[in-house]
Amino acid sequence: MRIRILLAIGAGFAMLSIASLANAVKPEDNQATREKGKQIYDRACLLCHGANGKGDGPAGWFIGRYESPRPRDFTGGSYKFRSTPSGELPMDQDLFRTVTQGIPGKMPPYGGLSEEERWQVIAYIKTLSQAFKGAKPTALVLPNPPGPPSDAGIENGRKTYIKYGCQNCHGDNGYGDGKEALDGNLKDTYGLMISPGDLTERASLKNGSSAQALYRSIMTGLDGTPMPSYADTIGGNDKDVWDLVYYILSLSQERQ
Amino acid sequence: MLDYSIGKVATVFTRVSILIIALSIFCGTILTSLLAPEEAQAIPAFARKYNTNCMDCHTAPPMLNAFGQRFLENGYQLPGTEDGGSTGKKKLGDLNLDDVNQYLGFRLVGNAVSSWGFNKQNPVGADAGVVENKAEFTFPNSFVLFAGGTVAENVGFMVELGHDVKEGGAEVERGFVTFNNIGSHNLAHLRVGKFDPNTFSSYATVRQQLGDVGESQKGGCTAPTPCAFNRVGLTPSAFATKFYGLYDRSGNGLSPFAASLYNSGHETGADVHGRPFGDWFLYQVGVVNGANEHLGDSNKGKDVYGMIRFDYAQSNFFSASMSGFVYQGNSNAKVRTSDDVNWNRYGLSARATYMMVDVYAAYSVDKINKTPTGVAGLFDSTATGLTIGADTYVTSQTLVSLRYDNLDAGGMLDQRKSASFIGVQAKHFLRANVAIFARSDFNLRQSEGGDTAARNLRNAFFSGIDVIF
Repeated sequence: MRIRILLAIGAGFAMLSIASLANAVKPEDNQATREKGKQIYDRACLLCHGANGKGDGPAGWFIGRYESPRPRDFTGGSYKFRSTPSGELPMDQDLFRTVTQGIPGKMPPYGGLSEEERWQVIAYIKTLSQAFKGAKPTALVLPNPPGPPSDAGIENGRKTYIKYGCQNCHGDNGYGDGKEALDGNLKDTYGLMISPGDLTERASLKNGSSAQALYRSIMTGLDGTPMPSYADTIGGNDKDVWDLVYYILSLSQERQ
Repeated sequence: MLDYSIGKVATVFTRVSILIIALSIFCGTILTSLLAPEEAQAIPAFARKYNTNCMDCHTAPPMLNAFGQRFLENGYQLPGTEDGGSTGKKKLGDLNLDDVNQYLGFRLVGNAVSSWGFNKQNPVGADAGVVENKAEFTFPNSFVLFAGGTVAENVGFMVELGHDVKEGGAEVERGFVTFNNIGSHNLAHLRVGKFDPNTFSSYATVRQQLGDVGESQKGGCTAPTPCAFNRVGLTPSAFATKFYGLYDRSGNGLSPFAASLYNSGHETGADVHGRPFGDWFLYQVGVVNGANEHLGDSNKGKDVYGMIRFDYAQSNFFSASMSGFVYQGNSNAKVRTSDDVNWNRYGLSARATYMMVDVYAAYSVDKINKTPTGVAGLFDSTATGLTIGADTYVTSQTLVSLRYDNLDAGGMLDQRKSASFIGVQAKHFLRANVAIFARSDFNLRQSEGGDTAARNLRNAFFSGIDVIF
C-alpha cells in the first residue's frame, strides 16, 4: 500500500515536471499568442507603459517624475537592455530577461507571470513597433568570463576605466558622481535628467550586476542614454574588457 | 480693556512666532535639500520586496497611483499576477533578516511645531473656556509599525500597530488577511479583519496629504451633556460623523469631526471586492460591526455597505475614477437617550490625475433613521460633508496641497455648528520616503462666539516630518 502511495506521488511529481517543462516552451508567435499577450499586457503593463505602449500609462509619470527613466516607449523601437549592437532591436531573450528580472529601483520583476505568459506578452509588445516587422536582430557574442581576477588585472581595469573616460560620468570611485553628472549634462533622448549608475552599489546596476551582464552593458551600451557602446573601441581587446569588468565589480565588493 | 491688550499682545506674539517658525522651516528645508542626495530611492517594505521604487505605486506617499491601487486590490501582489510570496515558502530556519525586512515597515509622522489660535477674532470673553490657544514645540507623536505582504499565492496580510504618544499605549489600527482571486483572476478578493472599508474608493480615508492633527474635547461628553471642542481634528468633512449629540452604543460621545462609518479607517468585519467585467469597473460589498466597535460588539445587527467604482486609466499620464457608496447602519448609534438609531451614509467620490496634478473630492450625506420621539423637533437628522483636495508637484521634490472642507452639521439644534475651512500645505520630499512639511488651516465662516472650535479656529499652523522605512 505504502509503495503504491509513493508511486502515485512519484507519478504526480513526474506529471508536474512535464507540465512545467511544457510551460517553459516558448509559444509560437501567432495571432492567438499575441491576443493572449495583450490581455496580460492590459492587466500587468498598461498602467505604466500605456494602452498604446508609448510609456505614458496613468502611473508612468510618477516613476520618473522629472528624472529619467520613464517607462519604456515600445513604439520607438529603442531599447536599453540588449545583447545586440547599439542601435539594433533586442533579442526576444533580452525582453524576457527584463520582464522576468525587472529593473532594479524602477520596474518590479514579473517572474510572477508564468513563463508562457511572459513570452506571450513579449509577442504582443513587439507588435507595438513597426521596427520589429521582419527584423532579425543578432546578438553579440558574449564570452564566458575568464578565471578569477588577479590584482594586476584589476589594476589594468582601473587604468582602462580612466583611459576610456568612465570617471567623467561614474566618478573616480564609481559613485556615479562624475563631473558630467554633477554638472547636470546627462540627459536621455527625451531630455530628462539621468543619473549614471552607482558602480559601488550592485543593486543599482539596471542591466544586471554579474560579470557577464557588465560585459554586455559595456559592449552594447544603453541606447537612449548617454552610456555608449564601447564595442568599437575597447571591444577588440577582450582582456581589457574583462579587467574593466572585474575592476567595476571590485568597487562594490566592500558593500556586498 | 486689559483683556483686549493682553489679547492683542498675544496675537502679535503668535504672529511673530508663526513667522519665525515659518522662516526656520523654510531655511531648514532649503539647507536640508541642498545637503540631501538628489536620488529619491525609497525602500519601504513593498519596494524592498520587489526591488523597486516608492513611486511605482504612489503619486506622493501615502496617496496611491493607479498601479498602487491595483497592487492593493490584488492583495499585495503585482497587478495581473498571482505571484504569492516566495519567502513564505521557505522553511522557518531559512528565513533571514533580508527576508524579514521585505515584510516590515515603519512610519513616523507628526508635527514638530503646532500653533493654534482660536479666539483672536472673537468677542472678548467669548472663548473663556477654550485653552488650546498657543504655539508649541512637540515631537512627532504617531508611530506605526506595519507588516504586510503575501504568505502564499493569493493569501496576503497587513498588520498596522500604532502608538500615539499623547494617548499612550499601542493598538492594532488595522489587521486583516486577504484571500485573492477567488474563482478567477480579479473576480473576488476577500478581506477579513480590521480594515479601512473605504480604501478602494476614489478618495481613500487613510491616505491623506493633510493628515488628521488630533482633536481636543473640553469636559465630558456623557449623554445628555453636550461635548465642547477645544480643537477639531481637521479630518476631511466628507468622512466625518457630522452630528452633534450622537453617541456610540456604549454612551461615549462621537465627535462630529472624527472619521466614522464607511470612512472610519478601521472597522472590523469582512468584505469582498473585484473587477469581474474588466479594469473599468470595481465592486465592493461588506459587513462590519459598525460605530467603531471591535470584535464581540454589542451591535447584534451588523452594518452593511456596497460600493461601485468606474475607472478610466489608459494613457497620456492620465487616470480618473468615480465611486459611489451606500452604508446602511443597523442600531449603530444613540441620540441623547438610550434608544438606538440607524445611522446611514451615502456618498460619491471622484479623482483625476494628470502628470503632476492630482485632484480629488468626496461628498457624503449622513441620515439618522428612527429618531427618538423625545428629541422630535430638536434634532436635525440630515448632515452633509464636502471635501475637495488637490496636490501638485511644483518642483521634482516639493508637493503643494490644498484642501477645502465644508461640513453642514446635523444633530442637536442647540449644539450644532457647521464649519468650513481651508488648508494649504507644502511638503518637501528629501527622499521619496522622507518628507518635511509646513501647513496652515483657516476658517472660512464667521465666528459666532462660544466654545465652537469649528468656527473659532482662525489659524492653525503645523510643521513636521513624515518618515516611512
